[in-house]
Amino acid sequence: MSDLQTPTIEEIRLYAARHGLQGLPEDQFARLGELAQTVREAGLALPRMPSKEDEPAHLFTMTAPRGTK
Amino acid sequence: MNGPSTAAAFAETATPLHFLSVTEASRLIGSGRLSPVTLVEAFLARIEAIDARLKSYITVTGTRALEAAQKAEAEIPAGRWKGPLHGIPFAVKDNYHVAGLPTTGGSRLMLDYMADATSTAVARLEAAGAILLGKLNTWEYGTGNGGVYHDLPFEVARNPWDLACFTGGSSTGAGASVAAGTAMFALGSDTGGSIRLPAAACGLQGFKATFGRVSRAHCLPNCWTLDHTGPLTWTVEDNAIVMQAISGFDPADPSSADVAVPDYRKSLHAGVKGLVIGFVRDLGAEGEALDDANAQALEDAARVLEAQGAIIREVTLPAPLAHYRSVTKVINWSESYSIHEQDFLERSALMGQALREKMMSGFNVRAADYLAATRLRRSLVDATDALVRSCDALLIAGAFHVAPRFDAPDTVTPFTADTATTVFNVTGHPALSVCTGYDPGGLPLNAQIVGRFFDEETVLRVAQSYEAATPWRSRRPTL
Repeated sequence: MSDLQTPTIEEIRLYAARHGLQGLPEDQFARLGELAQTVREAGLALPRMPSKEDEPAHLFTMTAPRGTK
Repeated sequence: MNGPSTAAAFAETATPLHFLSVTEASRLIGSGRLSPVTLVEAFLARIEAIDARLKSYITVTGTRALEAAQKAEAEIPAGRWKGPLHGIPFAVKDNYHVAGLPTTGGSRLMLDYMADATSTAVARLEAAGAILLGKLNTWEYGTGNGGVYHDLPFEVARNPWDLACFTGGSSTGAGASVAAGTAMFALGSDTGGSIRLPAAACGLQGFKATFGRVSRAHCLPNCWTLDHTGPLTWTVEDNAIVMQAISGFDPADPSSADVAVPDYRKSLHAGVKGLVIGFVRDLGAEGEALDDANAQALEDAARVLEAQGAIIREVTLPAPLAHYRSVTKVINWSESYSIHEQDFLERSALMGQALREKMMSGFNVRAADYLAATRLRRSLVDATDALVRSCDALLIAGAFHVAPRFDAPDTVTPFTADTATTVFNVTGHPALSVCTGYDPGGLPLNAQIVGRFFDEETVLRVAQSYEAATPWRSRRPTL
């Protein structure tokens, strides 16, 4: 993961502007860039499922017919 | 009003009214030996006496509570006793809506918000006769990045065992209030451990039931996939009583499960003889962070259950703890961002640093990574469920550390991050944090008892057996 580059301040400003972020305190842009790298690393660290047929867990799968346990 | 006096109730119980358990108070109220008005007055006096230091409440609804207590006081002797919660004072994290009361979510973004609907859980408690004392302190919107920055509109709640220590988050006021006796029980919410971590840090029993068991309707959302609601109590039996009232299908909550609710107290005292308890002693590399006192208490808990007749079988989780944590992080960042996107884009300066940093994380998540997390989650649910179904219950660490000190801020985030609580937000299994004693400094220790889907009954039964065999409920914080 260490070969991932933290975005430059300019890159993160452009990304923020492109996605409509307004009013972020000026001192937070550097942190936004650091977190961009942290999030990218976390995403890449997730093991990928082996089959294209492995579906996501949907939100409402825990329900069972009334009376079951 | 003809109810018995506070002095009489004190004399009868030899315990200050604010430190009675729900079970004890219920017996006294049901038999006419304790007045609900007297009890509510005792709690309001306790709040008045200590909450300026404790900071457990955001809003105290004293007049409303006294009116409800007077109503209960008239109903009970007239033969209209509603059950074990009738006349029992409680409070809720300030992310549960109650019609006619403000909901702040602990946030500057909601300081003017007045709720026009009542959360199902609160409505069910009030229908059972419980009396709301107010709204409790919380991390902003019940979430954050794990840190505490002292930058929210309400001062952070303090741990009653040591006011210099953190309560655990995010249900900070819930943990503080029940331990300190400013509420007899409380409701919190739990996305990665936010019921169980304050329970752990404050020496309580905190229950995150099966996903779908307790309604989330009319509570502020944090992360739809992982959010749960539930009680923090002093005793396991109190927890069973509260769970009885709040559990069950709610058509107003799209994630609610239509599964029958058993009588949680029916087998509560049946013991653990013959039950197979899967003991997760080895948590891999991440488990090395478990501190010595909690590790020893976990071993001791296994021995206590074995001495009660349980069959202890050592087991391991089917995947590294890191996988559950990664899934939690990516899903939580993404869904929370989706909920708060407009506020983040337009007025992030009003957010505290903890929520703003979480939003900055969510702002950067790729859709492919979110879906990778939800796909991995499905495989983790299946594999973990196979493990849970191979036993009657699991015994596993919860929070790895005791409550951190505010003057050592670098230890606050690890308290939130170094846990095995997120495992059961990912899988949806019921998980109860139990107090397993105290470290040499007097701070509470903890472990989790976990059950099969919708088998809260066995979780409570195991926890009750442990609690009854240990002396931890005989100690209270001094404030």
